[in-house]
Amino acid sequence: MAQRTALPLRDRIGSITSGTLAWIYAALLVVPFYYFIVSAFKTNEEIFESPLALPTTFDLTNVTTAIRQADLGLAVANSVLTTVAALVLTLLLALPAAFALARSTGRAGKVVEGVFALGFLIPSFAALFPTFLLAAALGLFHTRTFVVFLLPATALPLSIVILTSFMRTIPRELEEAASMDGASPLQVLRQVYLPICVPGIATVLLLNFLSFWNAYLYPLILIGPDTAQRTIQVALPTLKVDAGTDYGVLMAGTLFTLLPVYLVYTLLQRQMQRALLSGAVKG
Amino acid sequence: MTPGTTQGGTPGNSHGITRRTLLGAALSGGLITPLLAGCGALVPASSGAGTLSVHTQISGAVAGAQTFADVVAAYQRDTARRVALLKNGSDLPIVFETSTLAGKEADVAVVNMMGRTLSWTRLGATVPVNDHLDEWGLRDLIIPEALAEWTDDEGRLRAFPFTRTNWPVSFNTALLEEAGVGAIPTTSDELVAAADALRSHGIGPVTVGGSDWSGQKLFLQVIQGFISQDEARTVFSTGKISESAGAVKGVEHFVELRDAGVFVDNVQGYTSDSELTQFNTRKAAVVPAMSSALALVPAERAAEVTVGGWPVPSSGGVLERPSVIQSYNGHGIWISENGARKLDLVRPFVQHLYSAEVTDRFILESGRDMSRVTDTVSQDFPLVAQASRLTTDQVTPVMLPDLLIPDAVFEPMIQATALAYGTAPADRIIDAFEKSYQAV
Repeated sequence: MAQRTALPLRDRIGSITSGTLAWIYAALLVVPFYYFIVSAFKTNEEIFESPLALPTTFDLTNVTTAIRQADLGLAVANSVLTTVAALVLTLLLALPAAFALARSTGRAGKVVEGVFALGFLIPSFAALFPTFLLAAALGLFHTRTFVVFLLPATALPLSIVILTSFMRTIPRELEEAASMDGASPLQVLRQVYLPICVPGIATVLLLNFLSFWNAYLYPLILIGPDTAQRTIQVALPTLKVDAGTDYGVLMAGTLFTLLPVYLVYTLLQRQMQRALLSGAVKG
Repeated sequence: MTPGTTQGGTPGNSHGITRRTLLGAALSGGLITPLLAGCGALVPASSGAGTLSVHTQISGAVAGAQTFADVVAAYQRDTARRVALLKNGSDLPIVFETSTLAGKEADVAVVNMMGRTLSWTRLGATVPVNDHLDEWGLRDLIIPEALAEWTDDEGRLRAFPFTRTNWPVSFNTALLEEAGVGAIPTTSDELVAAADALRSHGIGPVTVGGSDWSGQKLFLQVIQGFISQDEARTVFSTGKISESAGAVKGVEHFVELRDAGVFVDNVQGYTSDSELTQFNTRKAAVVPAMSSALALVPAERAAEVTVGGWPVPSSGGVLERPSVIQSYNGHGIWISENGARKLDLVRPFVQHLYSAEVTDRFILESGRDMSRVTDTVSQDFPLVAQASRLTTDQVTPVMLPDLLIPDAVFEPMIQATALAYGTAPADRIIDAFEKSYQAV
């Protein structure tokens, strides 16, 4: 059996300290998450009496009540609709733009890239009123369609920055070899860049999914209150009332809305970690 | 070539998600989107011609939401008319207003009269309904005081008053008995004595949401124990407590009660939700709560509760009997500019809502107090029924000052009243209260 090499004392102390801090941080995240999950199966009285105790039963009454009271089934369908459509549109726009910027060597490319980066400087709240006026002028107020177009616009700066920096890590020789074999720029993008950029694309998808799914103010104002159109984040607050909110039902409703987030995160997290490790996404 | 891919883009195995999967997902999304959009349930309900759109706050978890939805569904079934229900909670006013700017507001809004909605009629976002009151045969159906409360200074009836609220004080008599208190307190001295007895038995006395509007309401109710209703109108509309000797006395009385331990410990941090939970879990024996909240008290707790008013000051007060806030400012039925162009659709719907059958459903199924003249009393919500049976021989009604407090003052005032539930002396509370009116 191979003998383990003993770590120097300083490294051991560092390892123990970082491990302890990591566990404390994990506990800080886990405790509220645990409280949130168990509360979804409790009554108000149980939540306030013994907040951290396990529920006496795991029946789904609170979930079904939340779905019925706030029409969450329809709201989830609407959120899926707007989020998926907006994600597809974001990728369709961001991928060719990032490809062009990554390949450009001239000053014009840098200027265009700078213009995209300027998008970060616009506070989303400040854009609300002009956006509202635009929606009204286009006749798209109180439609999901406008939000499907709007969300990619808000996401493009970050998406393009991430994808451009990812594509810049791809050796230019690969592109030159493909071009010598007669590949068109679109083929180069599809057959050379895209396969290598999967972690970057997954990162963009995950970040934008979270942002689109959790959007509240714009869908509230622009899509409106029609239950046939409103998204999950607009429907959920109707479970909160002025006096006597049933927190069990509210937690259950929130849990229900988090399931798609968990699912998408589970699917994409490894790719995002890969992108982070590769250095394409910083900070 | 990067591991995991082969020339020509053949996907490898090392990545969790391959290019094919990703493209498949994107294509699926592209296909699912129009399919979902084609689903009947996802087609905008308010888009059809001849549809009446109703934007309601009686939705979600609000008491009466299910009844309202059922009533509307039955109306559609019975009359073959289409009604689109648009739903929001407390964010309804801002959604309605932005919709109005775009000319796409709902025909009818069902929302209470507070804050932003107070200016709707003046600004033309909604139309006065005075003329319709007689034309539609509603005048005799609605309690006259409700009509008066919903009429603005220029005589415009803002909306049809639909629900109303009582704001009594609930006493858990079983807990009071455990503490050796034989009768519910009706004077401040009795209240202080009861609080001492309850505390000595490990029971919390009065619970209230010290950090929110429920604490604000009780604070203003206590002040009304020392001033006439006319003076109260002046004080609450101007904020000048220091110019009213009675109002100053009211604040000092509040501080005396607080310092005597009448409120539960840490009351400054409680909200309207936590006060009710404390009461429901027998952590506190007394709670001032509006009738829609009383409908949420479980039956086993309601069985040991007697409803009354806030004890009168033992000396120096102006009220004869314990006070109860009574208000007709519940939900009203507002008609928008769009609705004014569809009166042929609005009229039968509003008339239907004021039918005895419908208002009885709200009272019996959801414990709502209605602004319609009725003898029907809630059966399954005993505390709501008790509150509605309180007479002026038992309690003295005082006002809900929401209509007098300017919109911009509301939040700053709650910060000032939250201060009152801490340890601040009376002069500091008065100062903070008056400063909150500087926001106007």
